[in-house]
Amino acid sequence: MIRSLPQKWHLEADVVAIGSGAGGLSAAITAHNHGATALVLESSELVGGVTAFSMGEVWIPGNHLATELGIDDSIDAGMEYINNLAMGFSEQRAVLNQALHAPVALKYFEQCIDLKMCVVRHLPDYYYPHVNGSTAEGRCLEALPFAAASLGEWQHKTRVSPHVPYSLTHEDIFSNGGLANMMHWDYTVMGERMANDERCAGPGLAAYFVKGALQRDIPLLTGTRAEELISDGERIVGVRAVRGDEELFIKARRGVVIAVSSFERKPTLSRRVGLMIEPKSMVMDTVQGCHLRMAGEAGAQVARVPDVSMLGFHVPGEEQEDGVPLWRGALPFMGLPHTIVVNKKGERFSNEAFYRSVYFGLDEIDGMTQSYKNFPCWVIIDSQCREKYPFGSVMPGQEMPAELAVAADSLAELAEKIGINSEGLQATVNRFNQFCETGDDLDYQRGTYPWGAIMCGDPKQTPNPNLGSLSRGPFYAIALQRMAGGGITSSGILIDEHCRAVGWNEQPIDGLYVVGNSAARLDNGALMQSGITNARGITHGYLAGCHIAGKGSDLLQKALAERGEQQA
Amino acid sequence: MIAAEHSLVIDTAIDNVWHYVKDIRQWASLFPGCRECEVIDDNNSKWIIKVGAGGLVKTVNVLVTVEQWRGPEAVLFSYQLESEPVVGGGVYRAVAIDKNSTEITLQIKVEGSGQMAPMWEAMSKPLLPQMAKSFAGKLKNSIEEIYGQKTAMSPGPGWLAALRQRLKSFWLRLVGQKIKQ
Repeated sequence: MIRSLPQKWHLEADVVAIGSGAGGLSAAITAHNHGATALVLESSELVGGVTAFSMGEVWIPGNHLATELGIDDSIDAGMEYINNLAMGFSEQRAVLNQALHAPVALKYFEQCIDLKMCVVRHLPDYYYPHVNGSTAEGRCLEALPFAAASLGEWQHKTRVSPHVPYSLTHEDIFSNGGLANMMHWDYTVMGERMANDERCAGPGLAAYFVKGALQRDIPLLTGTRAEELISDGERIVGVRAVRGDEELFIKARRGVVIAVSSFERKPTLSRRVGLMIEPKSMVMDTVQGCHLRMAGEAGAQVARVPDVSMLGFHVPGEEQEDGVPLWRGALPFMGLPHTIVVNKKGERFSNEAFYRSVYFGLDEIDGMTQSYKNFPCWVIIDSQCREKYPFGSVMPGQEMPAELAVAADSLAELAEKIGINSEGLQATVNRFNQFCETGDDLDYQRGTYPWGAIMCGDPKQTPNPNLGSLSRGPFYAIALQRMAGGGITSSGILIDEHCRAVGWNEQPIDGLYVVGNSAARLDNGALMQSGITNARGITHGYLAGCHIAGKGSDLLQKALAERGEQQA
Repeated sequence: MIAAEHSLVIDTAIDNVWHYVKDIRQWASLFPGCRECEVIDDNNSKWIIKVGAGGLVKTVNVLVTVEQWRGPEAVLFSYQLESEPVVGGGVYRAVAIDKNSTEITLQIKVEGSGQMAPMWEAMSKPLLPQMAKSFAGKLKNSIEEIYGQKTAMSPGPGWLAALRQRLKSFWLRLVGQKIKQ
């Protein structure tokens, strides 16, 4: 951190947001709406950040769109759900703050940037109906298709996603058989949306916020990498950034908002802070954890919650736009019928149709040998699976690339080829196939989590959408690699209710705000729920933007007072 | 099946155009995303292409076969992706407008096969016109660079567009000369 003021400021604004995902853009937009000037720094050449790579889900308990549909929900029910799953690692003030403000932020952006969202019908919470406070639908929202041509020259400078079919909405996908049944999707709609560049999912969500910033003439400085914060001795007053060979000193009259996602593209931070050994990543190469460095130098506290590494694979020949190899998450493929995941003993270790089960199982350590019990691991599929379902971008009818999958005519041969216990694998498959006949997975209860059945199953498969035998060769094994969370991480900067970074003395650091995935997840603890990350980014951006412009929200104080009175 | 067509006028004689396009390596060097071209024989070649679609860049191997060399007026070709169920083909046509200009038309079609055919074709729909336009534009620029004359690209098909292009060039030259004087 620079502790002396530069001789010259090259740029200045009231608010400098670092990062152009939903968090950074929503902070800049909100501050601007309250009369502050704002600019956004983006280290890559494209705006939209990790938001644009996501499925675009936004998870908000007690939102007005669900209420309008007559769905019964409340922020208290949402908090109950979080508290039941946080394993004691959340902090009530943070949980309440997020719960109170997320519905407010949603309405706010609907009004000010014409954000158009809808409820993803029939998509339950992860743990519905097993955990109190969960709902069958209503909390998961998605953006309506966005006409990207309206971004003008920024149309092709706003990110799209290599991970999601962003020309289709959730409704389009799930009403036509879900992720498992791509051959039944409506490709007429997809073709038209692609031709017209109408974006759904994460790219659509990000585009709404990019447009909101453009409509306010908020400068979006791409190719501009924030390097360090500048302090005047009392507060954060600016940023040193680099654009090409040029060094820029940028004055932030009211504050700096750090919204740079996580650190998962930096292996040392992944190991030291994320406790993951060289995880692969599905996000862009610029996600390097600069928030930890910059805010850390300013004295900000780092906090951590339990989290898991994910699993994925690389289809040969696939890259992201910036030339780095593309890694795909295994989540939608592990729980399909005719599919299991096994360890070196050839044994299953989890409910493959519910990724939280797989990924917590993955990190199980054998204390007797100080080694991971279930890693390395492999997806095992049979030819029925290949005939019916895609695996990543390898479609039914296409050959599995040899670099991706090992093939064998028998399970014994397959086990030998990949070096796992052959008898173990055969016994596992025999037992699994019995479960498929009855539809009851007695070992790991596949198919009992409706979210997993919808997201990772085949609705046409009976009696259980997640169960189908492995009985027809050739068989295939795909070695899965550890992956980081796609921007979601265990560790981040501790923040207060206005998203100000908090120091080790428990006091906010004046002029420094941290939002979205860069902020520690004390508002949900050990819970993860699809859509919560985008909701945090948008809500944090709103809160930081309000406070930085001198209009900090008092909703939390009011609610605490009210709840205190009720308790009294 | 998805098809796209793009026409433009190259300001050089049809024989010059043919001299350039009769070498398949020239096609490959100009094709968007083409990284390598291995010539197998007079009619067959293998191209390695990086195709960008929606944030994803995929390397594909394409076997290109020239079905007929009908120089200087036409080339008929087909292609097949090595590991994807996608085939296609197309026609290159050249028409001499006068001794110093040639109109070329590039038609490309793509056809997916198997149960995922609709997906391949949906993905090709926005890409194919861009590819045809980009390739034809690069072809024009490269040939005109060699043979020394340049004009703006013409979006219009047929002799009418060519005539309009010629008249426009003539008018601009005339007006430009007057201003210069």
